[in-house]
Amino acid sequence: MIASLARIITIGRNTLTEAVRNKVLNVLLIFALVLVGSSVGVSQLATPGLDSSGLFDAQIKFVKDFGCGAIGLFGFFIALLSTAQLIPQELHNRTIYTILAKPVRRSEFLLGKFFGIVLLLALCVALMSLAFAATLYWQEIEGFHATEAAYATTTNWRSNPTIVNSYNHDIAEIVQQVRDPQLIEAVLLIFAKLIMTTGIALLISTFATSSIFTIITTFMIYLIGHMESTAREVWLASGASSSIWQSALVGLISLLIPDMNSFTIVDEILAGNKVPWSHTLNLLGYADVYLIVLLGVSIVVFDYREI
Amino acid sequence: MDSSSAVATTFAAETVGLTKRYPLTWKRKVLVALDHLNLQIKPGEVFGLLGPNGSGKSTTIKLLLGLIVPSEGEARIFGLTPESLEARRRVGFLPENPYFYGFLNGDETLRFYGKLCGVTGAQLEKRVDELIDLVGLQNGRERPLRSYSKGMLQRIGLAQAMIHDPEILFLDEPTAGVDPLGSSQIRDLILSLKKMGKTVIFSSHLLEQVQEVADRVAIFSLGKKVLEGSLESLLTENQSTQINIPADLSAEQQERLRKAIGQAGIEDDKIRFTRPHLSLEQLYLRTVEGQVGSTTAQTPPK
Repeated sequence: MIASLARIITIGRNTLTEAVRNKVLNVLLIFALVLVGSSVGVSQLATPGLDSSGLFDAQIKFVKDFGCGAIGLFGFFIALLSTAQLIPQELHNRTIYTILAKPVRRSEFLLGKFFGIVLLLALCVALMSLAFAATLYWQEIEGFHATEAAYATTTNWRSNPTIVNSYNHDIAEIVQQVRDPQLIEAVLLIFAKLIMTTGIALLISTFATSSIFTIITTFMIYLIGHMESTAREVWLASGASSSIWQSALVGLISLLIPDMNSFTIVDEILAGNKVPWSHTLNLLGYADVYLIVLLGVSIVVFDYREI
Repeated sequence: MDSSSAVATTFAAETVGLTKRYPLTWKRKVLVALDHLNLQIKPGEVFGLLGPNGSGKSTTIKLLLGLIVPSEGEARIFGLTPESLEARRRVGFLPENPYFYGFLNGDETLRFYGKLCGVTGAQLEKRVDELIDLVGLQNGRERPLRSYSKGMLQRIGLAQAMIHDPEILFLDEPTAGVDPLGSSQIRDLILSLKKMGKTVIFSSHLLEQVQEVADRVAIFSLGKKVLEGSLESLLTENQSTQINIPADLSAEQQERLRKAIGQAGIEDDKIRFTRPHLSLEQLYLRTVEGQVGSTTAQTPPK
């Protein structure tokens, strides 16, 4: 068991090393620059006034939306492209033969590769989150300055308790917006969604003959996963006429394709609405169960594949 | 396939009726890559697999390594199923035209494969040093494999195949694309493996090299084994006798020799004085190493 785990870790670390040395992480540098650059752009558009706290609300909201969206989008591309080429590249370069001729089970090879991509995504999401946090922190300081500048237009405002209270309230709002602990939930949910995408791509790549097929099919499943819950609601709501077959079909699709739409709860967090940890943990559990099924099926399919 | 099968366990590698078919769905045909192969290779033997491209050599190796599943028959490694981890601990494999991971350097490559085989710590470092010396890759230790030449890749491939000190080595075209000097070094390496008591099963198109290192060979054609035996039995020409003598014989010495052979009852027109032909590889190596040739007196076949 320990030997098996050691082999999985060895293959996983090698997969991560490959991604790092092949400069996948350069993408993250671009991410950080885009994020910081876009925030600067928004700041320049803003015109501080007495209602500057309100203005900064919008500005911080934009940075949060943009940051989480960018983490999800960049992460999605890294997960999809890295996973899709895992097995075809090994087959093309015949490196898979040298590994499977060693005392390594096919399941260990596959899990090792998956583990490597999970490590890569964890590293990417951590680095992107750091850039995100740094941008938010910078926005906070900018917010303080802008608010102070707005209040400074009133002479001797610091000696007026009502204005000071209002100022403190505005500052507190900025701090609350920026240092929102729910952002941790949002990043965790984005990460879970990326891992599910990886699991789907891995399963498809176990029988696909090209990376392009894996990329297109995973993308389609990802889209269906986003639409299925809406489609299900519309179908079932419209339908006194829906037959048992229609219900079975809807049930089958929702069983086979993970409900990606449930992860859009992140939007609620970004809108400032309270999402309880229990709901987040439920979603993470759902992702775990799906992942175990995806990996199990991948191992069985890969075991039978002619290499 | 279970270990209680009737297949004997004394052979390093053995196949019984081993067959591999690939269905060609679109053409509604079946490609027979290997057809009922029976082979028995003893421990310590150097066994050559010969044949044109697509004759079944690589398929045989992949089946013996458990990389592909037979359509019929069975393969055994020391009596074990090739897919078992125990069998894989006892084999090393150099695939045809290996690429490996271009982003790793020589040392990292060997460490990676060593860890997969359960070799770790100081033992692994010692083994890496030994193998780098053995295959002569000191200049490749720190270089990424993507900058390696073809010959260097073959050598790191041989080193990774030996990282866990296996008892059997499968080498698929180990000299393909390698220059004559590198090819000769690989030949010497196979000979030293033989001295170490390893079993080596290899495929090659360089017949002369196979002749130099193999104890036995099997010749394949269209997925079937058409000939098998020891080189001694397969290559001995029983219809003429070759006598090697020095190259600088005078005309008078040649005449005396001709008379002496004639006195043994051999007709004069059956005696020929010729110089043996060298292969290009031999010529290259002898030129490099400054060796000299010899003259051959040969009685042609009656």
